[in-house]
Amino acid sequence: MNGRWRIIPLETCDAATAMALDEACGESVKAGGPPTIRFWRWKPSAVSIGCFQSLEDEVNLETCKKLGVDFVRRRTGGGAVYHDCDGEITYSITAPESFFGKDITASYKLICGWLVDAFARLGIDAEFKPINDITTGGKKISGNAQTRRGGILLQHGTILYDVDVKRMFSVLRVSKEKISDKMIAAVEDRVTSVKKSGNATYAQTYEALVSAFSEGKETFSGSWTNSELARAKELVETKYKTKEWNFQR
Amino acid sequence: MGSASLKVAGGKLLKASVQAAGGRISSLKITGDFFLHPEETLAEIESALANHLLNESAITATISSLLQKNNAQLIGAAPQDFAKVIMEASK
Repeated sequence: MNGRWRIIPLETCDAATAMALDEACGESVKAGGPPTIRFWRWKPSAVSIGCFQSLEDEVNLETCKKLGVDFVRRRTGGGAVYHDCDGEITYSITAPESFFGKDITASYKLICGWLVDAFARLGIDAEFKPINDITTGGKKISGNAQTRRGGILLQHGTILYDVDVKRMFSVLRVSKEKISDKMIAAVEDRVTSVKKSGNATYAQTYEALVSAFSEGKETFSGSWTNSELARAKELVETKYKTKEWNFQR
Repeated sequence: MGSASLKVAGGKLLKASVQAAGGRISSLKITGDFFLHPEETLAEIESALANHLLNESAITATISSLLQKNNAQLIGAAPQDFAKVIMEASK
């Protein structure tokens, strides 16, 4: 994979800042900055929705407020996700589209292959499940989403470390009848986590991700530039915290 | 305003809210967890369908030609699925 990749180590971000940093990073890669791999956890825990979803349809805003759970609309398609601060690790990859080619499905397969490799390092036998998931034993353990703007590819995704299905369903909007024990059991049949699939700690999971994502690439451990941070701050205020953006559908 | 949703087999979930009058679409909102690159194409599809004839194959054709014009890629659903859910929502 050409270019020297910047790796931004695991940090904590609020929802609006997390999305703003992804966008600011895309702009700096477009301006000639290094392709970037970043890792973060959401603090406070948050729900992100796909760019074509309706916030009010997907998210129980009242419960979010009660629990101090944040929300944000992503730039990428896909579904609503509950990001628990201690229950998952999120990554994003920002690089020129030319690194991956025009075929979107093939590029999901390629990047998800790095995740499959990370799971293998943790002793978890996982596989890419098109369109955008990774499963182990038929259960989802990672969800991913991609966008391409101005010749730059962004793919972000989550690795489930520990799942609290009850909490997940209290913030995601599902009708009351559906949050029966039966429904929760059904979800538990479809979703799993690193913790459920082996003995790896959170730190070991993160280390496996960094190693697998770095494989075959020239990398350096970096940080955000001042201009990226300033741009992200601007995007938080003008976009990701605004009603116009979050409630647009 | 009527609404409908459709889970595409092997694909994603589509929802449409449609207001119809005199056999035409007067207002329309499409939501869902599908992927569409570039994303702005969805707003273009919605404007192209404002005042459009409520006819499944005509809607499919309008969406297909817009996707082609924008060199857009729709993943997890097809133009026919959009047309189907719009027709369902207009009932």
